[in-house]
Amino acid sequence: MKILVPVKRVPDPELKANIKDGKLDLSGAQWVVNTFDEYAVEAALRLTENADEGSRDGEVVVVTIGPDDAAVQLRSCLAMGADRAIHVASEDANLDSLLVAKTLKAVYDEEKPDMVLLGKQAVDGDTNQVGQMLAALLNLPQATFAASIELADDGKACVVSREVDAGVEFKKLPLPAVVTVDLRIVSPTSITNGITPESHEYADGPRYASLKGIMKAKKKPMDNKTMADLGVSGSPVVKELEVTLPEARAAGQIVESVEELVKKLSEEAKAL
Amino acid sequence: MLSTTLNPKLVNPTEEHEMLRQTVREFTRKEIEPQAEEYDRKGILNTELLRKVGDLGLIGITIPEEFGGAGMDSTAAVIAHEEMCFSDPGFTLAYLAHALLFVNNLFYAANDDQRKRYIPKTITGEWIGAMGMTEPSAGTDVLGMGTVAVKRGDNYILNGRKIFITNAPEANVFLVYAKVDGRITSFIVESTFKGFSVSEKIQKMGMRASTMAELILEDVEVPAENLVGREGGGITNMMRNLEIERLGLAAMSLGMANRCLDVMLRYSNERQAFGKPIAEFGQVQSHIGESFAKIEAMRGLIYGAASTIGPDHRNRPASDAAKLFAGRAAKEVADSAMQVLGGYGYCNEYRVEQFLRDAKLIEIGGGTNEAHQKNITRDLCKLVQV
Repeated sequence: MKILVPVKRVPDPELKANIKDGKLDLSGAQWVVNTFDEYAVEAALRLTENADEGSRDGEVVVVTIGPDDAAVQLRSCLAMGADRAIHVASEDANLDSLLVAKTLKAVYDEEKPDMVLLGKQAVDGDTNQVGQMLAALLNLPQATFAASIELADDGKACVVSREVDAGVEFKKLPLPAVVTVDLRIVSPTSITNGITPESHEYADGPRYASLKGIMKAKKKPMDNKTMADLGVSGSPVVKELEVTLPEARAAGQIVESVEELVKKLSEEAKAL
Repeated sequence: MLSTTLNPKLVNPTEEHEMLRQTVREFTRKEIEPQAEEYDRKGILNTELLRKVGDLGLIGITIPEEFGGAGMDSTAAVIAHEEMCFSDPGFTLAYLAHALLFVNNLFYAANDDQRKRYIPKTITGEWIGAMGMTEPSAGTDVLGMGTVAVKRGDNYILNGRKIFITNAPEANVFLVYAKVDGRITSFIVESTFKGFSVSEKIQKMGMRASTMAELILEDVEVPAENLVGREGGGITNMMRNLEIERLGLAAMSLGMANRCLDVMLRYSNERQAFGKPIAEFGQVQSHIGESFAKIEAMRGLIYGAASTIGPDHRNRPASDAAKLFAGRAAKEVADSAMQVLGGYGYCNEYRVEQFLRDAKLIEIGGGTNEAHQKNITRDLCKLVQV
């Protein structure tokens, strides 16, 4: 089983966003792996290991498209346990979702993985497009917002559960396929791969890069490529015009009674 | 947490250091912070958390890879202590007592047989370790210790007392210094050895998420193969390890100061008085400005010293200076935080009162300020004496 995990670096979502002259000021940003992509790395590792024996059974290749120092985030994924990395050089400003998807398609064509596993969206732009576009470009089946993944015994299909408004939807996909993950994918028993005993319970959340993992990461292979190497060209079709903060929320009101609440909802908020 | 305004290569010299900091920071945020207040209040050590720290590989941070460690340097140890102390100084002290005072100390002094017998169990946190040096009537004057060891057949018989021993109530194994014919020697003593016992927990002002007790050695039978190094080699072992211990403690001060600045900065931007945030008042700015300057000075000194210290690289004056300066500076920063927060600082909610209690320890434990002043003066005097 070979899994390709595209990851994006994002400014640390725990820190305050600064806006300068209508653009995000990223000069002092601390970069981290996009939360949902980190979940995808965790899910990919779980799919390709025997957790009880601590052995690997498959390959996880992480890929990012970004400037030179985005290599740090790839190393973090290698430190978590991914086997190798591909770094496609590009400046963030020269990219949009479609160009990213086209680049990933080119990487897919070279790597021929059994699955592309990625976050449902990046927590900076929140566009939630790359997985879907990639599946369309590759003409592969897709399942988005995966909450669990169960690999079929023959390794030729998987069943993905997705939390939808009406309940939980299960999709069976022939492989190869594109799967985007939601936060529940890192629950203790969300991944079934037929190798790790089903009784195994993972700790909730993505694994930490252990110190041994960190020291090993430097020795793992990282391929450097350009978009030209991959035969991808073009400029973004989506342009960022201006970034503004949402309007500050007006102060709340404390009401004395249910009657007053209903009255305000109906007359002031016109919500009823 | 604010990031440093100094050259980032000072605090994260390599990509590995940067990843280490990120991992420990995340681990601290998710695993250490949520339990910290409770364990401080109860005054107990979270042994389960120490095992998680072991799983991550932090206990063996300075131990070579072929012995199951991470094979990292003093700077890495400083990073781990700084980051964990942002949330839980007491727990970090227990970690330091285990990882540096016991594991690192033992590893670099022990022979391969001793390493095989004790490193695998302690590097995971399955066994907890501690170190016994200070005695009821011998602290800074360490050469004046009264614990003695006498060879009898295949054993050494140890008698004496060791006080203020962090982790003693929980520890399974101790590195104990005792005199053989007047010469200080190190021994590995297991808690189950005949004649060995531990007092009730000693109650203390701060660092309450770590525990301490007195070791009582009454004709303790220690097998000769548990003598570490050679008879009279204890001082060398002790001195080799003291430098990284001081760096760890200084890094703890830095972590505590980081937290206190973080709290006072947020508070002074939100808290209004006379119609504006108190950050706009000169009196508050004095606390913030001075605290920030102290923190960057600590950072420069600690990381500058750390890069010169390793098992084969000694730099006593720098390690003494780092701890002397950082211990006092962090206590002052914690005091500033409490002053800025006023009544809210004195109460438990913001945990500033805990950090002030905890910060004081670094001026006493692992070498008093006075011991550092003595060491520094002696080392400097040697440079000018003809």
